[in-house]
Amino acid sequence: MSPEFSGKVRKEIDRIIARYPQKEAAILPLLHLTQQEFGFISPESEKLVAGILGIKPIQVREVVTFYTMLNREPIGKYHIQVCSNLSCSLLGAEKLTDYLKEKLSIEPGQTSEDKKFTLSLVECIGACEQAPCMMINFDYHGNLDKKKIDKILDGLE
Amino acid sequence: MVKIHIDKKPIDVEEGTTVLKAAETAGISIPHLCYHDAFPPEGSCRMCLVEIEGLPKLELACSTQVRDGMKVFTKSEKVVEARKGVLEFLLAEHPLDCPICDKAGDCKLQDYYDEYGLFESQFRESKEKREKKDKIGKSLIHDEERCILCRRCVRFLREITETQELGVFERGIHSRVNIYDLTPVDNNYSGNLAQICPVGAITDEDFRFKTRSWFLKKGESICPLCSRGCSITIEYHPGFSHFGVPSRVYRIQSRENQEVNGFWICDMGRYGYSYLSENRLDKIVINNKEWNIQPTWEDVSYFINQQLKKLDEGKKTSQTVLILNTWLSNEELFLIHKIFKNDQNLERIFFADRPQAEKDDFLLTAERTPNKKGALEMGFDMKPANPGALSDKTDLLLAFGSFLAEQISAADLKKALEKIETKVLFTSHENELNSLFDIVLPTALIPEKGGSLTNIDGKIQKFSPVFEPPGDSLPEWMMLADLGRKFGINSSFYGEFKTPETIAKEIENEVPFFREQK
Amino acid sequence: MAEKVLTQHFGLKNVYQIDEYIKQGGYEAVKKALKLKPEEILEEMKKANLRGRGGAGFPAGVKWGFVPKVDKPKYLCVNADEGEPGTFKDRYIMSHNPHMLLEGIIITSYCVGIHSAYIYIRGEYEAVALRLEEAISEAYDKGYLGKNILNSGFDLDVSVHRGAGAYICGEETALLESLEGKRGNPRLKPPFPASVGLFQCPTVINNVETLSNIPQIILNGADWFTGKGLPKDGGTRIFGVSGMVEKPGIYELPIGTNLKDIINKHAGGMKQGKKLKAVIPGGMSAPVLKADEIDIPMDFDSLVNAESMLGSAAIIVIDTGTSMLDVLKAVTKFYSHESCGLCTPCRIGTSWINKIVKRMAEGKGSKKDIDDIVRLASNILGKTLCPLGDAAAMPILSIAKKFRKELESRL
Repeated sequence: MSPEFSGKVRKEIDRIIARYPQKEAAILPLLHLTQQEFGFISPESEKLVAGILGIKPIQVREVVTFYTMLNREPIGKYHIQVCSNLSCSLLGAEKLTDYLKEKLSIEPGQTSEDKKFTLSLVECIGACEQAPCMMINFDYHGNLDKKKIDKILDGLE
Repeated sequence: MVKIHIDKKPIDVEEGTTVLKAAETAGISIPHLCYHDAFPPEGSCRMCLVEIEGLPKLELACSTQVRDGMKVFTKSEKVVEARKGVLEFLLAEHPLDCPICDKAGDCKLQDYYDEYGLFESQFRESKEKREKKDKIGKSLIHDEERCILCRRCVRFLREITETQELGVFERGIHSRVNIYDLTPVDNNYSGNLAQICPVGAITDEDFRFKTRSWFLKKGESICPLCSRGCSITIEYHPGFSHFGVPSRVYRIQSRENQEVNGFWICDMGRYGYSYLSENRLDKIVINNKEWNIQPTWEDVSYFINQQLKKLDEGKKTSQTVLILNTWLSNEELFLIHKIFKNDQNLERIFFADRPQAEKDDFLLTAERTPNKKGALEMGFDMKPANPGALSDKTDLLLAFGSFLAEQISAADLKKALEKIETKVLFTSHENELNSLFDIVLPTALIPEKGGSLTNIDGKIQKFSPVFEPPGDSLPEWMMLADLGRKFGINSSFYGEFKTPETIAKEIENEVPFFREQK
Repeated sequence: MAEKVLTQHFGLKNVYQIDEYIKQGGYEAVKKALKLKPEEILEEMKKANLRGRGGAGFPAGVKWGFVPKVDKPKYLCVNADEGEPGTFKDRYIMSHNPHMLLEGIIITSYCVGIHSAYIYIRGEYEAVALRLEEAISEAYDKGYLGKNILNSGFDLDVSVHRGAGAYICGEETALLESLEGKRGNPRLKPPFPASVGLFQCPTVINNVETLSNIPQIILNGADWFTGKGLPKDGGTRIFGVSGMVEKPGIYELPIGTNLKDIINKHAGGMKQGKKLKAVIPGGMSAPVLKADEIDIPMDFDSLVNAESMLGSAAIIVIDTGTSMLDVLKAVTKFYSHESCGLCTPCRIGTSWINKIVKRMAEGKGSKKDIDDIVRLASNILGKTLCPLGDAAAMPILSIAKKFRKELESRL
């Protein structure tokens, strides 16, 4: 089934497009919306966005594949993104990643069988003062240790 | 104008010229991969870095504009080291499969390695695995591993055809150029991609593995397949006589001509070259005439001459019919006009041409012959041939080309021709039509003769022979000049026409259009 | 007068809301600026020597002066794509005091004649983006944004544009491409954005911290501002300290504050039981300083003299327990991941070096690998289309030079 935006979202899209003198500029905001609405960006979604912006789907694909936050496959309900950059790795990000791997029984890049978690290793997320840190969806969690990770994950439905 | 020095050589160039183009005018070539004259500089390959006095870093030759007094060094140690560095990077992730790559011999990466590299590969890591041998268009084969990401193809499809079939996906080392899922490159200019790809990433299935480019000889010509008159290069194999490999055309490439086709040609012109080699008529064919020898052009011209004289003396020149086409050059059309219209007052001159077809909004015109404008300007009224007009009290028919068969049905044509006593056909190909004529004379095609054509915009373009016509074929202008000498009112006038250029000169004298265009 | 320029309100509750911000004297700078002539503001800005806080350190006033007076729309792009590893200061500014940034945006736009501004914020900062959007909406309601701001006749629209995960979009021309809806590939310069920028129009691009300084400069004057830092490098910096220190976080201090003091006095010194080995003084792309090189004033010129750079003033502290090979691995992994892939040396060079370092970290390296890394990084340095190539090469070269013995010992 081809994805479609609801009337409410379409109105939001119109508002977004109006901010720019060129329609195409609204592509990232629209892709964020697409991901928010459908969980990921499928080829059908690419076509949907292309249609709204009056561009070719290939142009959407070029953009989608450039940015790491845009997912081309469905992901779990909770996307755990562990920072693997310098400040975090100085403070033990690698060990925490191993812990998460073991706890969730998945490797980075994988989604748990129950589709609850997707684990990713990411580059610096701009919260180095709380290293080691991670994002779960858009929530930041810092100063992590095993105990804190347990507590956070236990709190997720 | 500004004065600059490139490699200590003083050069005067226009303001706004780039260093790369300025160097070109001085005969200094600066290596480049992503830069192509058709597009604004992209600056991504980094091959064209040069040293400019007073600047701390190497600068791009493709995008840096000259400034008065600028001193550029294109071969300093720093520059050569930088080029080597770029080549080392490019080759690190390149499959290095030149022996099985169809671009070998035509590949800029290969050439530059030969010029600047010749180093041992230090790359010990595993190369990225990518898609190979994918068919991405009707004649295009794509290899992501050979791609150097110059994006010429992407820019061509974005800026020239505006069809955007190729894009760049992913980023960093994983960046790759490809089509959108399985949507192929589908436009009438796709063949240009294989030509502008500087490496073996896009190869042309039509050419691929049929020969090697270094066996090919090249000649400049004009595409005759529509009335645009695009500049082309014809690449042909002269044949290996000891192996029985005949001469044949392997590839047509576009040739830059800013007034006509820019850098491009359409796929019809690029791939429609089989007619140059296939089913060529290479001997004079005699049907229904009791000639007991294989005649030469001398014999035939004598015969035609006799026929014409007979009609002329009997005040029956009106019973000669001429069928022309607009594949004939300006020079040929001029001679015909001169001999038959001016000298003979012949009125029954018709044209049989390939029918019009759909034009595109770029180069391809609806007219599918190269010289209609020339024929019009020469003063022909271009009545189309029809069966009635053809056979009405006709004693002698002189026809050029085989397009009659496309204009008149086979049955009608047969019926019409049966009534005519003497029928002579000048044609380049074997064709069913040929059997309906008494004498069939083999003629040369555009790349086999010299002359000029007038394109749709009235631009007169000269062409020269690239290779010999097959067998006994002759250029029509030669046969016509000969007929003129034998039969025309002023034989010494026709005697002057020993080359197409001499005819062209006379055209300028006599036809204002051609004088003005010059 | 306040000691701090940027963080003076950070401790206050709810200052991110406009009413509280106004209570603290907020939007007075806008009121004052709108009564000045744009040329007067530009003059003051040039005098203030406010150098760009994003990393390149280009004086903001000079940058604005490059915008040609043409009959075309002009744009302001706020670079909030904070992505340089170790850097998190802009996140603090935007979430603690978004209206201070908005004031900076309004004054800049008024000065340059801009009526449309976009805040390009990195995609991960969703919560910050929402806070900014709320602040913008409050500012519209109060008449600080929109048509005829405070009856001055000046119009300005501001909106937030979220990136989607690409470090390179912090490079100003890549940011423009991204904002226009394309892949974030940097553009060839010239033309520079000041003349041909967003949507082919003249464009000013300034970092969040840079713009946030402006209200205080307008209120207190250029002399006050330069008095806080150095004459050629005015004001304070928000130093972000992370790594092996007791109190990682942000510290707003005068430009030129000694690095040793930042680490030892302000950030609480080394984490308990750890010994200092090296410091990255200006975000990951800054060449590393050894433990004995940190007695240095933190300003643009001093760090250049030390063959490093102030960059985004993000300080990453590395202890003796950390292997420099691991540091090198983190560096090469990052730049290889973030190379946009447009130009050859960066695309292939960063990946190649990363492959070598990964192999070295697996215990399969040789001395020649270190030579190769140096050679390849040198072939990237100064030869790429945008500064990312240099950003990648500089830390690699400095680690290989200063810690070669250690790297060799780990083979």
